[in-house]
Amino acid sequence: MKHVLRRGGFFLLTLWAALTLNFFIPRFMPGDPVNALRDRTRGKVSEATLQQMLSSFGFKPNQNLGTQYLDYLGNMLTGHWGLSIGQALGEPVTTIIGQALPWTLGLVGITTVLAFALGTLIGIVAGWRRGGRLDAILPPLFVVTSALPYFWVALLLILMFSVWTNGLLPSDFNYDTSLVPGFSPGFIGSVLQHAVLPAATLLITSIGGWILTMRNNMITTLAEDYVRMGRAKGLPTRKVMYGYAARNAFLPNLSGFAMSLGFVISGAILIEYVFNYPGLGYLLYSAVQNVDYPLMQTLFMLFTVAVLVAVLICDLATAWLDPRVRAKE
Amino acid sequence: MTVLQGTAAATPRPRRSGGGFWRALRGNRKAMAGSVILLIFVVISAFPGLFTSVHDPNALQFPPRLGPSTGHLLGTTGLGQDIYTQLIYGTRQSLIIAVVAGFFATVLSVLIGVSAAYLGGIMDDLLSMVTNVALVIPAFPLIVILAKYAGHGSLTVLLVVLVVTGWAYGANQMRAQALSLRNRDFLESARVRGERRSYIIVFEVLPTMTSLIVANFLGAALYSVLSAAGLQFLGLGDPNSSSWGTMLYWAQNQQALQTGAPLWSIAPGLCVALLGVAFALMNYAFDELSNPALRPVKAKERKVRAAVAAKASAAAAAAEARAEASPSPADPGGPPAPDLADAESAADPDAPLLQVRGLTVEYATARGASVAVAKVDLDVRRGEFLGVVGESGCGKSTLLFAIARLLSAPASTTGGSVTFKGRNLVAMTEKQLNVLRWRDYSVVMQSAMNALNPVRTIGAQFKDAIEAHADYSSEQIKQRSVEVLELVGIDPVHLKSYPHQLSGGMRQRAMIAMALLFTPDLVIMDEPTSALDVVAQRSLMVQIKELQQLLGFAVIFVTHDMSLVSRFSDRLVVMYAGQVVEAGPTRTVFDTPAHPYSKGLLDAFPSIHGERVELKGIPGSPPDLGNPPAGCRFHPRCPVVQDRCRSQEPELYRIGEAGEVRARCLLLTSDDEPQASRSLEVNS
Repeated sequence: MKHVLRRGGFFLLTLWAALTLNFFIPRFMPGDPVNALRDRTRGKVSEATLQQMLSSFGFKPNQNLGTQYLDYLGNMLTGHWGLSIGQALGEPVTTIIGQALPWTLGLVGITTVLAFALGTLIGIVAGWRRGGRLDAILPPLFVVTSALPYFWVALLLILMFSVWTNGLLPSDFNYDTSLVPGFSPGFIGSVLQHAVLPAATLLITSIGGWILTMRNNMITTLAEDYVRMGRAKGLPTRKVMYGYAARNAFLPNLSGFAMSLGFVISGAILIEYVFNYPGLGYLLYSAVQNVDYPLMQTLFMLFTVAVLVAVLICDLATAWLDPRVRAKE
Repeated sequence: MTVLQGTAAATPRPRRSGGGFWRALRGNRKAMAGSVILLIFVVISAFPGLFTSVHDPNALQFPPRLGPSTGHLLGTTGLGQDIYTQLIYGTRQSLIIAVVAGFFATVLSVLIGVSAAYLGGIMDDLLSMVTNVALVIPAFPLIVILAKYAGHGSLTVLLVVLVVTGWAYGANQMRAQALSLRNRDFLESARVRGERRSYIIVFEVLPTMTSLIVANFLGAALYSVLSAAGLQFLGLGDPNSSSWGTMLYWAQNQQALQTGAPLWSIAPGLCVALLGVAFALMNYAFDELSNPALRPVKAKERKVRAAVAAKASAAAAAAEARAEASPSPADPGGPPAPDLADAESAADPDAPLLQVRGLTVEYATARGASVAVAKVDLDVRRGEFLGVVGESGCGKSTLLFAIARLLSAPASTTGGSVTFKGRNLVAMTEKQLNVLRWRDYSVVMQSAMNALNPVRTIGAQFKDAIEAHADYSSEQIKQRSVEVLELVGIDPVHLKSYPHQLSGGMRQRAMIAMALLFTPDLVIMDEPTSALDVVAQRSLMVQIKELQQLLGFAVIFVTHDMSLVSRFSDRLVVMYAGQVVEAGPTRTVFDTPAHPYSKGLLDAFPSIHGERVELKGIPGSPPDLGNPPAGCRFHPRCPVVQDRCRSQEPELYRIGEAGEVRARCLLLTSDDEPQASRSLEVNS
């Protein structure tokens, strides 16, 4: 119980810190967003609409900063995220995000979990066969791939599988725009086709880290007495490898997974930008380009919440898998 | 043996000092590759003019989109600049970003991490909380937003943003290491000397954290290189600056890939990748150096391993051939049949339960093979308690695991046989062994804390063992588990307990209970009491002995404490440097130790009931098994050493009237017997 309370407290604290950053950055940085908005909307919307937009963004010049801050916190937490002042002028932020979210969840979410699962599995095998020929090649190879810039891998893949091969695989957008979205085989096929290169980029750049950490954890764990004890008991090799060695070696990786999500998000922004993939990352890029503060701050909050939820889930999973953690709290 | 001769050269012990560390770093291929790449970039960034004849990298002075030629090594950009020249001039900024941002992020990490650890209390809570919050807030979106607000162009702003978002990971690690250092002896002594806290931190703590600090710098530099390039690629840097990221931005902006100038974006991307890889390789090399287990097995070591493995399989094959030749009813080639084996040994009640002959174990190291167990013979009869004693590092635990067939690389059995209930274990495959394991012989290890799986309950671990060998219903499993726990005096409610919830003594008992699940014929025990205090030790020993008498299993018991086994074992084997140096009935060996080493071991422990005597111990330490001394292996430490001991290798000689004691000492040989007994008497 205490454990849950502590984690919940940390969740709220971090969320608050992120929201506060969000509130003060535009107000204390050079470049006045209010004027930017006025310039942008000149001649496009009426003065009344402009006022409404400004207040939805939290800028109420006649109120003091404290009240503005509290209002802002309330609005962010209750989903009153305001209207976009960027490309989709006047459109509710919730709508814009609602359109982009499934694409990012589908592409980045699935690929990240896949990279984690696959990397962990390869790491288990590499660690188990320590000293083999494979183990001599894998570590340096994946040290290299995990240090490659996301966007460069993306560019290389586009060059190889799209430019040089006359569009073997699409390098742009999330589906063929000539198709009508729906649950038709043609549309789903197009979506999958468009996901291959961005997913491959994310997989190539993120799997190495998981393989290396899992291999290293595995090697450390294999030296433990309880692994030898598993063999001594005459357990089948599989049982020793997964139930005794990997089961323990995996635990530190869980918290690492949550922490790495921040990097995954940075990868998502760059990858979605390169592939013009209309997900949240691309949305953040265009929000920044168009000085769309309401969209920007909502996205930043959502990214923070995503990482925090992952941290929370991994924490709970660790507590569930490791009785010692439960005992400590 | 040729392998061993090759390693006869001096073998310095690994040192943890700085010099050794840097030397090791030089020997690491990843570190070398990383440094070479970095060095090349440093030279280029310092003297860009030396590498290209074009003076202004950004001037639009050539035809656009030229292919590679001698004039333009990598062609020209879509705007008419020489790509190669831009790369050369872009090096400096990327390097500056990496080094400066990496440096300040590391300084911040050290400052906050070490302060948190040393200030403790509320300050620690506060700083750790700030660190964790900073760690979780996704940095890159924040950078993107910050970079936009801060306006285009300023390198300083970019650096500040990278430092602000890049310190938290390191701070957590610094805090953890500083905390673990806090109570070390050398800091304690500095505190006792009355040194100021700041002095201690700067001159005592930080130097010991050097490798972590350097690793952190490399990590932060890698992060900065990639993030900065990503930002510039997105167009959030100064579009007029000379950097790889800016090149990438313009290339993307002008659709370089699609318009036939792929090198425009691929080449600067490659440079970013190379610089990143350089930092990553060095960083990983540091990880390997601080945890040598992670290092790849070197080609040379792999060769030695292969040679050792070949010897091992030859030994197994030879053992199998022998087994086939002997008229044994057990068929080693076919499926294992424990019942047959039982029948066989029942037919010949005088045959020992376990017969070890010429057992040899070698470790493959980079320096060559090292013989940890050399041609050991021993017998264990049914229901017998055999003690194996010797100092740490004499090969006794290795011997045990070789008998149990539980060695793993780089150690393997390279000769001899282990005949258990009439069947040679050395010739058996892992699958065949799994049938015998736990049913017929089980193992108890030194520390149950380490030997029990920490994340599973005692009951679950019992269940694993039972399920591997018997087709029990869950009711039967429960019943048997309760039985064995009650046997060792533990409340069966602890089947639901995890290892960490039990006391040290209870854990050890639980492990013994687990070893008795199938009431095996032999229980192999590796110092099962040495993790306990003296009182718990005695009571556990008494219990083991009682169980043994009750259930009739035989025990091989390894310990370094000779007095511990004196009361409980029937026979004793004394090991030194991988060899048996004395073996015989416990009482005889105790009363009249024949080997000087046995004497030394006995003198090293006080007798609880005996008279007070001065403890002598044995000066020196056991030899390096990769390079054992010539002649008698004990001669450098022997108090009664003679000249011939230095050259002549002693065998195990039968001594005493009944010849039931065997000892490996030249002084006991008949041609020099008077002298031998005299010198031993002088010492006793």
